[in-house]
This record gives sequence, structure tokens and C-alpha cells, in this order.
Amino acid sequence: MASVKLTKVKKVYDNNVVAVHDFDLDIKDKEFIVFVGPSGCGKSTTLRMIAGLEDISDGTVEIDGEVVNDLQPKDRNIAMVFQNYALYPHMTVFDNIAFSLRLQKMPEDQIYEKVTAAAEVLGITDYLLRKPRALSGGQRQRVAIGRAMVRNSKVFLMDEPLSNLDAKLRNQMRAEIILLRQKLNTTFIYVTHDQTEAMTLGDRIVIMKDGYIQQVGTPAEVFEMPKNLFVAEFIGAPKMNVMRTELKKDLNGGYTVSPFGVKLAVDGGKSEALAAKHAPTGEVLLGVRPEHITLAKEGQPGAIPCTVEVNEMMGSELHLHVVTEDGTRLIVRVPTIDLEPDQRHGLQRDSRLYITFRGKVMHFFDPESQENLLN
Amino acid sequence: MSNKRHMGLRASAHISNTLIYIVLVVMSVVWLIPFICIVLQSFRVESTWQVGYVIPQKWGWDNYVALWNSDFKRWYLNTFITALATAVGQTVFVLCMSYTLSRFRFKMRQGLMRFMLVLGMFPNMLAMIVLYRVLKDLGLTQANAVPGLILVYIASSGMGYYVSKGFFDTIPKSLDEAARVDGATRAQVLWKIILPLAKPIVIYTILTAFMAPWGDFVLARYISFGTSAGMNVAVGMYSWLQQDMIGQRYTMFCAGGVVVAIPVTILFMCLQKYYVEGVTGGAVKG
Repeated sequence: MASVKLTKVKKVYDNNVVAVHDFDLDIKDKEFIVFVGPSGCGKSTTLRMIAGLEDISDGTVEIDGEVVNDLQPKDRNIAMVFQNYALYPHMTVFDNIAFSLRLQKMPEDQIYEKVTAAAEVLGITDYLLRKPRALSGGQRQRVAIGRAMVRNSKVFLMDEPLSNLDAKLRNQMRAEIILLRQKLNTTFIYVTHDQTEAMTLGDRIVIMKDGYIQQVGTPAEVFEMPKNLFVAEFIGAPKMNVMRTELKKDLNGGYTVSPFGVKLAVDGGKSEALAAKHAPTGEVLLGVRPEHITLAKEGQPGAIPCTVEVNEMMGSELHLHVVTEDGTRLIVRVPTIDLEPDQRHGLQRDSRLYITFRGKVMHFFDPESQENLLN
Repeated sequence: MSNKRHMGLRASAHISNTLIYIVLVVMSVVWLIPFICIVLQSFRVESTWQVGYVIPQKWGWDNYVALWNSDFKRWYLNTFITALATAVGQTVFVLCMSYTLSRFRFKMRQGLMRFMLVLGMFPNMLAMIVLYRVLKDLGLTQANAVPGLILVYIASSGMGYYVSKGFFDTIPKSLDEAARVDGATRAQVLWKIILPLAKPIVIYTILTAFMAPWGDFVLARYISFGTSAGMNVAVGMYSWLQQDMIGQRYTMFCAGGVVVAIPVTILFMCLQKYYVEGVTGGAVKG
């Protein structure tokens, strides 16, 4: 158990490509932190710098108050689970898990005790004498976690550990990692490109792009108050709908927007928040999440007419890809329970419908800087 | 597909297979004839001269006994020591070089690899006079040719890293990294993780390193320079083929050929599985 502090950490490769820029982060003891972002954003590089597998070009990494920049991975008291499991193919599962303990010259009886205890927790006791090639993907991942578990390390690093598993197994292993975290009660740093994993696992999420931190916050914070358009679009599936519109003030001092020529009041406290930030009127990028758009009736105030382009039946909900009259494409998530029985298998292509959304679900971004106006 | 057409295809497959087997059998016989002749001649005791027939009229071990009582014993030991020491030394050099070039990134790494590639294109013959002078100055020629030869064989062996490096490249780097996080040093990573996984290429390297000095003639003859005590089997046995010797030593020469072939044949038969894996190891990413 330990805190991890990164101060102005930078990674420059030999070809002068800067993978990570001035990365500042304080990770608290026993915190589960998730680095998330698209490919090439520097999340794995940062994790590997913490692990000691990449040199740090500038800045410092501290583990439990000690600067570890020049320490070998073995001296950092960390454990790591790799994306491709990295199990030693010539060793049995037992030997794989026991490898680090044997390097520590731990007595064999203690090794046996620790390995069997870890195997029990992970449900792999029956496979201890097998070689990794005789295991399924999920079992291999458990062995990789077991190998990290027995070391009683201060920090547990995981580099996209679930990305090689199929969707069903990924969900199952995600739940197991949550349980494991409760059992181990140590500091976790987890890298993923999957925002669902980030949202479900992390106490805090670090969203990265092009080597820069975009936002650090709890899952609720990054979802409800994205710092910029990139975070807004990256977190949430399907991604947030974004449209250009005019932000205006009405006679009462409240704000209004007029997407697709339909005037909508910015209510639900958002207007007051914009006023408090002295948000200027004019063109803005208006963001609305697909699940916050509701179906409306013809003639209802604030109803935006559109036509259905694509239906995606997800079981409990329908993802409707609709086109507004000015040709803007939007995605709407509609719970199937809210639909008429004849609509539950999907709406007919080109059928006309009306949508609307409330002010409290609106997000406003500066068209130039793409920063959230409520920052 | 009609039944008639199906029968036709089967018949044509049979004919083509038969032709292929005939060609292969003929090739095998042609290839084996010299070996069979040498083995048969080595057991011929009615005459030590070359005769006009292959199957001996009188069989016996006389040639092998004569071999044992000649300088052959010394040449064989010289060859064995040279080949064994070269196999060990070259394997260590080649594997260390291959691991380094596969896993470490350092300035001029690419340049060094290109330099070694170009250097390897020059024929070894060009260096022979210089090598002889250097070894002579060090006192490692003639009777001391064995350590001299070992030194020459091992000295530049690191440049033959290509096949092993290709094999190491196919072993995921994350295994090294996992082992380093688990607490292993670089040397422990090599010995405990990489080499057990690279068994085929280790055996391939040992075999090829053993084979070159085992059958070397040109350099060995040059360095031993007519001194029997420093000769290997190839050079020593060649002296039996001189005009004045061939009549008395021809069948002994054949027996020597058989004795020389035995260890290599056994080695290959035992390790051929690894040899093939080693040669083809880097071809397809597993």
C-alpha cells in the first residue's frame, strides 16, 4: 500500500516524439485510478514509466515518498499485469506464480502456502500443474493476476488486462477485479481504452489525449461535468451529440438556445451557472448525451422534427440514428419500455419523429477552445 | 462430380505419386552409394589398395585397429577438442550478441548490425595470411594449432547472430518485462526465461558451431603447417591420400571417414527436431 506521485513527468523518445507532456498526478494510498484514452495518448507509456520499464525523460515519480526514477523495476515494489498476460510458457501455473517468490529465495513451504492461497482466491487451484497453453484466456488472466498478487506489492499496475478477452468474459473479469481490489485493498493503477471499464472500476479517472491529461475526476464528475469537448465525447456510449447553436439571453436574464430553429430554455440550474461564469452569448457547441434526449409529440413546445436513418436494437433500449431537417445526425437512446408495442422492434426507416431535451442536460463548449463554458 | 471423373483424378494422383517416389528413391540411392562404398571398404581386409570392386572378399576390423594404432587418435582428439571448445565459446558469444541486439536499444545499434553484415561478406580466405602471422607471433601454430584454431573460430563468431536474433525477436518482450518486474536481473531473464524458450536455437547454434571445425580443412591445414601433432582429422587423413601413401592407407582412410561421421550422425539424429525448429524458428511469428 502506497501513494504514488508524478511530478512534471515527461517522455521523449529517441526520434524526438513526445509521448507524455508534464504529467502531474497525486495518487492516494489504496486508490484505484484508471488511465483512459485513445491509442497513442500516452497512458501505457506513463504506466510503464511508473513500473520502470521506460526511462523517464524529465520529472519525478515517487512511490511512498521515495523518488524511484533510477530504480530498477524489481526495486520499486510493484506488481504488474500485462495486456498479453506475459505468462512464462515453459513453466507450469504454479511455477509462474512462484517465480518472483523463488527469486526472493523464499522457503519452498512458504511459497507453496502463498501460491495455493492465491490460486484458491482466483479459482485456479485445479490448473496449478498445467502449462499456460492449456488454459483459456480467462484462466490465463487469472494466473497473471495471481502472479502479481503473491508479491504483496505496494502498487498494483494493470496494462489493459481485459482487452484480449471476449465481451462476456471481460464483464465477468471486470467484476472479479472489483472483488480483488476489495480483498487486496492496495493502490491500483489501471490502463484501458475502454471507457466502460474506466467508469466501473476507477475511484478516479485520468483521461488523456496526445500525451496530455485532459481531466482527472471521479466517474460522476467526468460524466456530468466534462472539462472539454474531447472528454465529453470520449466518456459515454454512444458518444455525446454535438451541435452548433446560438446562446442567447432572454428578457428575464435566462439563457436560451435554438438548435435546428427550435427555441429551448436553458433551465434546471444551468442558466444560473452560466450567468455565474459570465458566459458570453453567441455561437456555442451544444452537447447532449443520447440518453438525455426524449421522444416528443408533434406540436409539443421544443419538439425537434427529424427522420429515422438507422435502428440499433440493443434489447432493453433502442439506439436511433436520426437526421434533423438541416441534415445534422444525432443519436437517441430510447428505453424500449417507453415505446409503443409495435415500435419495440425498431422504427421504420425514414419515419418521422420528434425529439426534445431539457436545459439541465445541456453541455456548452467554446467553439474555439472547446473548453466547457462552466469550467 | 461424376464417378468417372472422380476415378480419373484418383488414377492421375496415383501415377504422379509413383513418379515422385521413383525419382526420390533414385536420388537416395545415388546419394547413399559413396557412403555405402566407404563403409564397405573400411571392412575390407584382403588388400589396403584400391580395388575394382565394392563388396569385400574378406571382412574384418583390421583397418579400425590400424587406425587406433596410428596418429589418427591424436588428430581425432585435436578435432574433438577444437570442435567442443568452439561449440561452447561460439554458442555463448552468439547467444549473448543475439540477445543484446534483439532486446537492447542503444546508439549505433543499426549501424553496428549493418557493419557486421558487410564485414561478413568478405571471404574468410582474405584474412588467412594475416591470421597466420598473428597466430605465429602468439606461438599458436603448428604443434599449438589447436588453441590457435579455437581462438580464430570463436573470435568473430558473434557476427553470426542473424538466425538467433530472428528467433529471439519472436519471443515477446513482455516476458522479459514481466520477469524484471517479478524481480529478475537481466542475466536471470536470459537464463531463466529466454534460453529455456529458445532451446531449438541454442541447439542449432551448438550444432553449427560444432560442425564447422569438425570438418574444416583449409584453415586447419594452414595453421598446423605440416606438423602432425597440430593436425585435425581432415588434414591428417589428407596426408594418407598422397601418392606414396594411398596404397597402404586407402582402406584405413575409409575407416577413418566412418569414425569421423559417427558422432556427427548420432548428434544430428538425436537433435534434428530442434535443428529444424531452430532454422525455421523466425520464419513465422507464433
